[in-house]
Amino acid sequence: MTRDSLITSENDVDIGLEFEGLEDEVDTFQEEHERERHRGKRRDGERAKKKKRGNGERRKRASNAGQEEEKLQARREKKGRRKRSSSDQQAEGREGDEAEQPTTKSSKAAKTRKNVKNEKTRKVEKEEKEDEADDEERNAKRKKKHGSNNKEENVEDGNKHTVKEKAGEVKKKKHKKVVETSSEKETSEEEDSEEEDSEEKEVRPETLTPEELETLKEAVDERKKLIQGLRGKPWAMKKKLVTLRESQEFVEKYEGALGKGKGRKLYAYKVMMTKKWMKFKRDFENFKTACIPWEMKIKEIESHFGSSVASYFIFLRWMYGINMILFCLTFGLVMVPEALMGRPYGTIPRKTVPRAEAPSAMDFAVLWDFGGYAQYSVLFYGYYNNQRAIGWLKFRMPLSYFLVGVGTVAYSYMVVIRTMARNANESGVGDDNSFNFSWKMFTSWDYLIGNPETADNKFASITTIFKEAILEEQESRKDDNIHLTRFLRVLANFLVLCCLAGSGYLIYFVVRRSQKFALDGLENHTWWERNEVNMVMSLLGMFCPMLFDVISALENYHPRVALQWQLGRIFALFLGNLYTFIIALMDEINLKREEEKIVKFNITTWEASLYNISASENSTAPPVTIQPADVPRGPCWETMVGQEFVRLMISDTMTTYITLLIGDFLRAVLVRFLNYCWCWDLEAGFPSYSEFDVSGNVLGLIFNQGMIWMGAFYAPCLPALNLLRLHVSMYLQCWAVMCCNVPQERVFKASGSNNFYMAMLLVILFLSTLPAIYTIVTIPPSFDCGPFSGKKHMFDVIQETLESDFPAWISKVFSSASNPGLVLPFILLMVLAIYYLQSTSKSYKEANVDLKKKLQTQNEENKKKNKLAALKAQMDLEEARKATSPSAEHQKNNNASPDQEADEEEDRGRGQRMYHSQNGRSPPPPRHDGYLPATRAPVPRNYHHGNQGSAGYLPGFPRESEARMHRVSSLQRH
Amino acid sequence: MVSPAIALAFIPLLLTVLIRCRFYFVLFYRAVLVRIWRDCVTGLSREERAYQYVLTHATPGDPDSILEAFDVWCSKVEFISTIGPKKGKVLDRMLMEQSPLTVLELGSHCGYTTVRIARSLPLGARLYSVEMDQRNAAIAEKIIRLAGFDDDTVELIVNPSDEVIPRLRSEYGLERLDFVFMDHWKKCYLPDLQMLEGTGLLGKGSMIVADNVLFPGAPKFLRYIRKCGLYEWKVHRATLEYSRGIRDGMAELVFQGIK
Repeated sequence: MTRDSLITSENDVDIGLEFEGLEDEVDTFQEEHERERHRGKRRDGERAKKKKRGNGERRKRASNAGQEEEKLQARREKKGRRKRSSSDQQAEGREGDEAEQPTTKSSKAAKTRKNVKNEKTRKVEKEEKEDEADDEERNAKRKKKHGSNNKEENVEDGNKHTVKEKAGEVKKKKHKKVVETSSEKETSEEEDSEEEDSEEKEVRPETLTPEELETLKEAVDERKKLIQGLRGKPWAMKKKLVTLRESQEFVEKYEGALGKGKGRKLYAYKVMMTKKWMKFKRDFENFKTACIPWEMKIKEIESHFGSSVASYFIFLRWMYGINMILFCLTFGLVMVPEALMGRPYGTIPRKTVPRAEAPSAMDFAVLWDFGGYAQYSVLFYGYYNNQRAIGWLKFRMPLSYFLVGVGTVAYSYMVVIRTMARNANESGVGDDNSFNFSWKMFTSWDYLIGNPETADNKFASITTIFKEAILEEQESRKDDNIHLTRFLRVLANFLVLCCLAGSGYLIYFVVRRSQKFALDGLENHTWWERNEVNMVMSLLGMFCPMLFDVISALENYHPRVALQWQLGRIFALFLGNLYTFIIALMDEINLKREEEKIVKFNITTWEASLYNISASENSTAPPVTIQPADVPRGPCWETMVGQEFVRLMISDTMTTYITLLIGDFLRAVLVRFLNYCWCWDLEAGFPSYSEFDVSGNVLGLIFNQGMIWMGAFYAPCLPALNLLRLHVSMYLQCWAVMCCNVPQERVFKASGSNNFYMAMLLVILFLSTLPAIYTIVTIPPSFDCGPFSGKKHMFDVIQETLESDFPAWISKVFSSASNPGLVLPFILLMVLAIYYLQSTSKSYKEANVDLKKKLQTQNEENKKKNKLAALKAQMDLEEARKATSPSAEHQKNNNASPDQEADEEEDRGRGQRMYHSQNGRSPPPPRHDGYLPATRAPVPRNYHHGNQGSAGYLPGFPRESEARMHRVSSLQRH
Repeated sequence: MVSPAIALAFIPLLLTVLIRCRFYFVLFYRAVLVRIWRDCVTGLSREERAYQYVLTHATPGDPDSILEAFDVWCSKVEFISTIGPKKGKVLDRMLMEQSPLTVLELGSHCGYTTVRIARSLPLGARLYSVEMDQRNAAIAEKIIRLAGFDDDTVELIVNPSDEVIPRLRSEYGLERLDFVFMDHWKKCYLPDLQMLEGTGLLGKGSMIVADNVLFPGAPKFLRYIRKCGLYEWKVHRATLEYSRGIRDGMAELVFQGIK
């Protein structure tokens, strides 16, 4: 039986092919009237195909074919063309014909009785199933899929019991073949009916036989596969949804029923656990998102204000992260050990408030001046002792201080450069230029969004993104009078330069004045005059960008370019201010060092006098104990520098916050509530609400960070203060943005500017470490304060450690390693390595560009090809349309003479060749030569090859038509 | 005592403000300072001066030439708040599309807009123009007649708008208003609109156009039309008449009725 079934299945495929192939060539062998009739029927059939119910049509066609087949066969036998065909195949074919003949008669009736049949068939189907259970296991899946088809056939088969089983099967499978190549509508329908009957079957899963279970399992697997691949199917969305829902229901229902007894329970458990696990994973993802600090806030802002404003907040968060690390380093390795293990306050002069300052040491002003007790605490450089190791841990305090100072800078360099590199990679990957809108259209929705609020935000964000994209497109297409624009740009730059020069001069003037004040003594001057430098710097930093903004309106740049220009200008302004400040500070350091020399001299005389006093009075008496507060001391310039930076940072922070409150909040309040009683519309008109100033804020942040890097060595408290500031400003600015700002009129995206920020940060990092390193390396530390007091240079601490804490050979190694003879080759090697890496990266980049180009050209070629193919198909279709009516008439007039036939055959051959060349990509399946079909159904071939070509575009047909064509050609050869 | 350096640091702010608001300063100069000075010098009101200019520079009976003379005077000599040529074009287009038969104009001032509307009305249409101020109304009357529109086309009503609107139906026998143009006191936009709704003169498809809704601005009016849902509305964005940098808008409302 199995062998039989194998054979039949093999045959049936061939016969099926044959059967369809014959449809084409019918007009060669047929009488005219028949042809015409058939054409009419075909048209009917096509109409029927359009209807949902395709099966009826198929049956009709099949029966029709069966009728014609007989005549054809008779003719053929007369012609003797089929002599070489093997006898058993012929017999089989005959049997098929015999089977089909009665069907023809009953087909119309069957069509009308469809509904009745459906119910009947189910039972028959069941019987059939039981019968064939053993030999059909291999085909079970297929069968299930085309169950309904089988059913109908079975009815037909049931009508006449004279037919042999084998023949019936052959026929059935023939139908199956037809169905397989039919359109999806049918398939889905079949699935529906299949579902019905499976439901009927699966009402009591306990009673299932293993085979049924097997089939069920396969059905479930099928469904699962369908669900997975549904996205890629070329169906209408509505149909997809329906299919998806049905399949899901099916899987839900029967998944648990699989397996039996213990196995079933286990299976159900497994399924349940998978679901739980998926849910857990999703929850975990949500949790992870919730763990990113301020993520929701930033997303909300992004949805309202676009990516440029959000980029500022992301930058702020990133900055916060870096400062966190810096803070951990300084706090954990410097401040805490000193506070815990160092000598306590008041033990030595450097840790005590001097007598003169003691009365004012607890004033309120300490909070912003950082004098008094704050100055003599772990917050500043001067408090630390030069004791080599402190506490029971033998903590090497000076070494730690030095290494942390270097480490923070090194870490910052590393992070900034690494981030820059990563950003560069990211920007290099995407192909932004082509299909910009399609990408946005089809890929921007985030399917992970679960709650409606976020969905709203995402929606708003996507609309903003679209606006940005459209704006960008518009900007890129604009063109104006170029000379005027150039002139205006030059003018704008000139104005900005004037402005910069003015502000630089003002700061220089103020700093000079402050030096004069310092010489006079600060106590003689008012608060305004004392804080003049900070005030002027803050004010200029606040107002000049506004002026730049107004001036940049002249230039008419694209907003992103304008933002970069603005950033550059503000950068120059801030840099000028900062460096003026540093120069002033350097002057002050020199002053302090002069003072220090005097103090040093005084102290020796003071000590000598003290010694003299004690010696003269009583040489044996214990030395006089002096309060550490009374000991004269030098002006510790390092602490002074640290203090300056802390003050600068505080005043900067204050200015930022006050600007925020006045410029944004107060303005918003005024506009909002004064609008009720004002003579013009304040909201839409002049003052309006403020926009968020991205460039100014970013630069403020960057320069603030620069100050931190500069001052952190002399004031270990700076990272902590900065952390506090960033934390507060995160909340404050988030609130201010959402509460009192309006989205920018010209929304744009800032993806490209991220690296710009980074580059600026790098420059600032370099520029701010420059003076710090300069002071560390060149200026000797104060003699009586700080961890390096008494040394010639601050970095001597390393040498000291090497000598005393490590075994001798290490110091030897180091000293020999620092020999120029070794250092120079090493540097050379490094330069070579850098050069090598750079050149390789360059070549990689070139390769990348080449690949990209290749891809692009390939894409274009493909597009062209597709277009060409579509064009050809269209032309063919039109031709076909033109040809159909005249050709019909022409053929009517023809006699069915053999000459004519030969001509037509030739014609066909040519057409065929054409067809093959057209579809050269998919070669026809290899055929066994000796084999010939037993039956041929004289169905009219398609009227035109072009018609077939166009039919090839339908989802169900392409292969079939090709196979058909090939069959024909092989036939002709024989 | 604040040091001079700190004061100097405020210069950029001053400059910024000056540049940002330059159009407003220019407007202030032209609309207020020049007006006061001319009033003192000539002893005539602004509208009278405008009328004199138009009388000497325009062709009587030709509305286009009168409008042109007005435009020249307003942009070159002094400033009068009319609708201006740019927004006027928008208004003309709306009138062409609508071709209303009964038009109400609130606030004719010195007749520029009245002439403009009457010019583009279809045959047999009638324009009711409401002006509160007696002297302005006299001048408007003169200008309208100068342009060649008789009593049948344009009827000038000298009364405040809130008195006129309730009596429109009874005294003037109006059944329906096809087009309403508002250019009087900005504060009256909203009460007058509500009054119009109350009289029931507005039918489906009646158009209401309000000038200067952004500058000097009628925020309450805008808020109301946004909320009430009776209208299909949009704001035509433009600049203030005879000035480049001040943004202004003209609201176009189409009455939809209660749904």
